[in-house]
Amino acid sequence: MKFINLQKDPWRTLGGEDGPAAYIDPRPHLLLTVEQWHAFRAQWPEGMPVGVMLANDAEVKEIAADLPRLALVQLSFPKWIDGRAYSQAHTLRMRYRYAGEVRATGEALVDMVLLMARTGFDSVVLRADQSLDAAHRALTFFPGYYQGGTEDPLPLFAKPPGTGDALARAQDEFMHAGASI
Amino acid sequence: MYQYTEFDRQFVHQRAAQFRDQLERNLAGKLPEDDFRALRLQNGWYVQRHAPMLRVAVPYGELSAKQLRVLGAIAAKYDRGYGHFTTRQNLQYNWIPLVQAADVMDALAAVDMHGIQTSGNCIRNITSDALAGIAPDEVVDPRPYAELLRQWSTLHPEFAFLPRKFKIAITGATEDRAAIAWHDIGLQLQRNEAGEVGFKVLVGGGMGRTPIIGTEIRAFLPWQQILVFIEAVVRVYNRFGRRDNAYKARIKILVKAEGQKFIDAVNAEFTDILENDVAGTAHILPQAEFDRVAKSFVLPAGVAAVAEAPGAAFDAPKAYARWLERNVHAHKLAGYRAVTLSLKRSGQAPGDATADQMIEAAAIAERFSHGELRVTHDQNLLLPWVRETDLHALWQAARDASFATPNIGLLTDMIACPGGDFCALANARSIPIAEEITQRFAEIDELYDIGNIDLHISGCINSCGHHHSGHIGILGVDKDGKEWYQISLGGSDGSTISGTSVPGKVIGPSFAADEVADVIESVIETYRGQRAANELFIDTVKRVGLDPFKSSANAVRRSTATSRVESTQAA
Repeated sequence: MKFINLQKDPWRTLGGEDGPAAYIDPRPHLLLTVEQWHAFRAQWPEGMPVGVMLANDAEVKEIAADLPRLALVQLSFPKWIDGRAYSQAHTLRMRYRYAGEVRATGEALVDMVLLMARTGFDSVVLRADQSLDAAHRALTFFPGYYQGGTEDPLPLFAKPPGTGDALARAQDEFMHAGASI
Repeated sequence: MYQYTEFDRQFVHQRAAQFRDQLERNLAGKLPEDDFRALRLQNGWYVQRHAPMLRVAVPYGELSAKQLRVLGAIAAKYDRGYGHFTTRQNLQYNWIPLVQAADVMDALAAVDMHGIQTSGNCIRNITSDALAGIAPDEVVDPRPYAELLRQWSTLHPEFAFLPRKFKIAITGATEDRAAIAWHDIGLQLQRNEAGEVGFKVLVGGGMGRTPIIGTEIRAFLPWQQILVFIEAVVRVYNRFGRRDNAYKARIKILVKAEGQKFIDAVNAEFTDILENDVAGTAHILPQAEFDRVAKSFVLPAGVAAVAEAPGAAFDAPKAYARWLERNVHAHKLAGYRAVTLSLKRSGQAPGDATADQMIEAAAIAERFSHGELRVTHDQNLLLPWVRETDLHALWQAARDASFATPNIGLLTDMIACPGGDFCALANARSIPIAEEITQRFAEIDELYDIGNIDLHISGCINSCGHHHSGHIGILGVDKDGKEWYQISLGGSDGSTISGTSVPGKVIGPSFAADEVADVIESVIETYRGQRAANELFIDTVKRVGLDPFKSSANAVRRSTATSRVESTQAA
């Protein structure tokens, strides 16, 4: 999981209004709304990194055909208890095999990062008050998981016999070593 | 019972460690209450009227004596010495200070217990038939499937923040003892003509403000596909369920609003997962995994059918005969019985047990039931492995420990939520109403004469006391800051005697608290006056309709007599 420092982040939105812009001067790392992207994708130079922001009530299908051209898809959590973007991220990865960056924004809290990591997000802009230490720690608690996730699509039962107990023992050693805590 | 693997055990311990980390940040002021709330809820911690409430998961109601003993010890050490068994087969504590929450989670983890997903807008603890694995009418034992679903849904990363809570119930018997049609997903295991096992899948049932019976979405889903199918249902719900209004956020509203479109969307999602997703078939359950889990659900060592040997005739007291009739149930194994320990008696709230009672029940389970118990949907405890020849000794032990009230299925075996005495959501109190009715109908002969009846009491429209499905339902409502009670008749949980699942019908404007017991008495008197020979309460209600009950209920109004006139005029 990449924790985004906005000061150092190359991605920029158009700024100003979100509506359809009259003209977009293509430049690398522009982050567009779906509407803006649809209006300008025909002119967008091949190979120039571009990202799209997908609202959490939009269908992933709307951008499915464009995914190979997108370096970044940014999903949003307007409220942290609104979990729609987890399904969007999962669908991007598992159904459309999207290989670019999937970024979480909005009310992104440290206790969500484990869920994000397991549904296909690989970067997150944490809410400004969040602790990076706590976020790193939040990723380390469990020895493994029952169900498959995007990072490892096989559920525990589909792995070789003994995997679960080996994971449990490894976690135990990790905890006793006091690593990262 | 399911035997935890090293992984399962480590997982629960780490869940406790994760919660401790969150709690410590909260107590240190680094995790504000608004951000902590959903996290503690998903571990079973509510903040209630007086103190936090902890809901401990009892997966599909299976409990060991060892676990129950620890639950009793926690009640004694951290709570005020008691706990409350719920309709969802869980246990709630009401008085544990939040600062001790992490220690309690560690104590629970030590006996493979936790509060994972007992609250919050996620897939909740899965419920089942309290007679699973022992009922004579069972077609397929639901417990291995319930356990597989428990594991799959545990910390499912995509479905932790759904529009609203999501409840799954599963049964494998012909008699529905799990009220499956009242759940977000109801699963009924069955065998097809080839003898293969599959699920009838219902979706979109629920109580609350808008009671709705689940719709059948699949008549026979091969069991191997169940995780994938539920993933499809929950993903469609996560994407399209309403989030603008908590009262319209349950899947039942989506199913009702969209109808066939919802079913089509689920079927399309299901096909997409299997045919188009990366590793889309990875969650098809293999036989080997089923076998691994199912091997935990075998007969306890030493249990085997024995030739029925009725005990020598003796001059049994009438109370024992009644207990045999009401609290002892048929078993699939010859020579065995299932026995209910009644948690319905005067002086204690329905479903409540003190720390000592929990410890006594654990000892009884060890002595008579191979250390196993079940928590029933009706808020009692049940012993699944009792030798017929031990019944008399068990009765004596149960009687000494206050568990032998012979009232199972009768009026005082009522379902009731904790209500306004504890719950911050409740509009009205349930416990005093339950107590008054219990005292009013203390006469056991009278209870027997009234016969089988489901009385369900909820302190608010959230319906934790399942008032919609009671033959008699009592619902607490709030008007102008005062407590009122709406009475409904004719509801069904889907059991054979109750008939097809249906919400009860309200019999008129709300009653005052001090009128409720009188209303129940008058309704019962009306039934006794109207009933045909051997006719159950629910059948009389269905046959004669609500009118005679309305008249007799209205006749006992005192403080609400005026409002009755007003509402009659308004109508």
